[in-house]
Amino acid sequence: MLTLNQVSRRYGGATALDGVDFVVPENTYMALLGASGAGKTTLLRLIAGFEEPDQGTISLHGERIDGQPSHLRDIGFVFQNFALFPHLTVAENVAFGLRHRAHAPLTNETEIKDRTEAALELVGLTGFGHRGVSAISGGQRQRVALARTLVCEPRIVLLDEPLGALDANLRSRMCDELKAIRERLGVSFLHVTGSETEALTMGDQVAVLANGRIMQSDAPDMLFSHPGNAEAARHLNAWNIFDASLCNHDLGQGPIAVRFDQIDVSDPGAAPTERPALHATYLTGEFNGPTALSFFRAADGTLLQVVDHLSQPRLPDLVEGQGYDLHFAADALRQFHGAA
Amino acid sequence: MTALTTDTPSTTTHSPAELREKKDRRRAIALLSPGLLWMTLFMVLPMAMVIYVSFWTQTTFSVNSTLTTASWERFLSSATYLGAIWTTLRIWLIVLIATIVVGYPVALFIGLFVRNKTLQTALLVACVIPFWTSFLIRVIAWRPMLGTEGAINMILMKLGIISEPLTFLLFSEFSVLVGMTQIYCVFMVGPITFMLGRIDISVIEAARDLGASFGTIFRRIILPLSLPGVMVGSIFVSVMVLGEFATAASLSGRKTNLLGNIIVSQVGSLKWAFAAVAGVVLTIIITAVIALALRLVDLRKEM
Repeated sequence: MLTLNQVSRRYGGATALDGVDFVVPENTYMALLGASGAGKTTLLRLIAGFEEPDQGTISLHGERIDGQPSHLRDIGFVFQNFALFPHLTVAENVAFGLRHRAHAPLTNETEIKDRTEAALELVGLTGFGHRGVSAISGGQRQRVALARTLVCEPRIVLLDEPLGALDANLRSRMCDELKAIRERLGVSFLHVTGSETEALTMGDQVAVLANGRIMQSDAPDMLFSHPGNAEAARHLNAWNIFDASLCNHDLGQGPIAVRFDQIDVSDPGAAPTERPALHATYLTGEFNGPTALSFFRAADGTLLQVVDHLSQPRLPDLVEGQGYDLHFAADALRQFHGAA
Repeated sequence: MTALTTDTPSTTTHSPAELREKKDRRRAIALLSPGLLWMTLFMVLPMAMVIYVSFWTQTTFSVNSTLTTASWERFLSSATYLGAIWTTLRIWLIVLIATIVVGYPVALFIGLFVRNKTLQTALLVACVIPFWTSFLIRVIAWRPMLGTEGAINMILMKLGIISEPLTFLLFSEFSVLVGMTQIYCVFMVGPITFMLGRIDISVIEAARDLGASFGTIFRRIILPLSLPGVMVGSIFVSVMVLGEFATAASLSGRKTNLLGNIIVSQVGSLKWAFAAVAGVVLTIIITAVIALALRLVDLRKEM
């Protein structure tokens, strides 16, 4: 179990992490979702030991690891750009850790070879060992980077946007494979990403990092349906967040959130009275294939989005620039207290 | 190709691909020709001339173009001149190693530990500052430094480390080595810094994450990746040191005779044929050294 306790990291005047409390349980695929610049990579670098926290403690299996040299932490790190050793072959890359680690290096060449081949087989690269790393494709490099890390059997594997450099097809395939590999090994993965779909697909648990803190850490379906605060909801890219006072019903004060797919649209005044409604101007629509997204502007300038599934269309014909009533079931809204 | 165009005259229109190819070829020739012309006029022809002259007949004060191998025989049978080859090779090797030993850590610092590009450039420029003065001043400045009443002897005497001045410091092979290492070190620092600067820092972090200590990372990752830089630096330093004569002339007190010094003195006494022999020998040595260096590291693969 990896535990971060009140971890802070500042760069000059800028605060990257501001008292992060975070737990990655055993045998879990943890996805960490955050916008670019939110401090995701910093968090991983602190755990791996490439940097040290200004405040707070990091411990792994109850043993404090901050302050330990990074090469003795026994933590796997998969880099976004793969960071393969350009002058070594695929097999030499994978064997590097086994052969050259300071703690308990292997000297038996047969064992090194067997374990290298097993690791390459695990990531589906049997027979690629002799190739140079510049002579393989991006997806294969990703696998080599993974094999190189996994072969050392680290206590936890950190993946820094591991799919970011791959094309969309490859990304969805690697998603499944990463999950399968992790389940086979039984080690925890901490996968950092900026994509909410990736985080929700991959994670047994998903944590949202924003403003230098973990906003929420929950199971993906729980996080998606019950975001605990406005920041978490915003990162899921499925929630409209607006001020409660915009609605005709008395919903109290502060920000409330309603999911894109739970808002219905009527002509002004035609909304059912039992449903809370707000007035907004239709801006434009975006056709995405199976779904269509419509954009509205509320009275205070807030941008609102409504998703319509083409199989069950529920929106009337919309005219750009015209006002409409957006209404939703009273139990569809999430109300946040005190959060920004 | 030419046959084809003559068979079907004027009416044929060339395909755009052919036209493009023609244009590219014309451009390549245009780009190449100044260099080729220069090389032919000022390198290939003079080289051939030097080889030719080395077989001329040398009398005391003149040469004539009667072909003979006399100069070669004299050169290859003389202990002095063979000794000069040996001295040249020895000094080259020591200076080469010294520039690597002194230059590599500097390059390592600038290229790898300074990650700010502006600071990197500033430090590299600082390495070149000695070159803002003339070559001669840089060499002669070593005299007040290393002489019997020079700075180093004075300091050592004041500190009581030595009781009488060290005489081997100046006008010896030592001073030539010191002078050359100082002058040529920057040519080693530059290329190595460049190669080290290209190493992705995350590659080093990856090695560290896999459990390797800094020593291992240096041996297994940093050193191999910077070797092409060492090789390019070595070629620069080698070419300059092997052809050197000025440092040896002003700092060795005429005790160290390099092939370069022999050429200078032979030309000075109008022994053209003999100077030509030494020139050809020097060229062969330099060519061999560069060929060897290129063999060791495949630059095409690494750059």
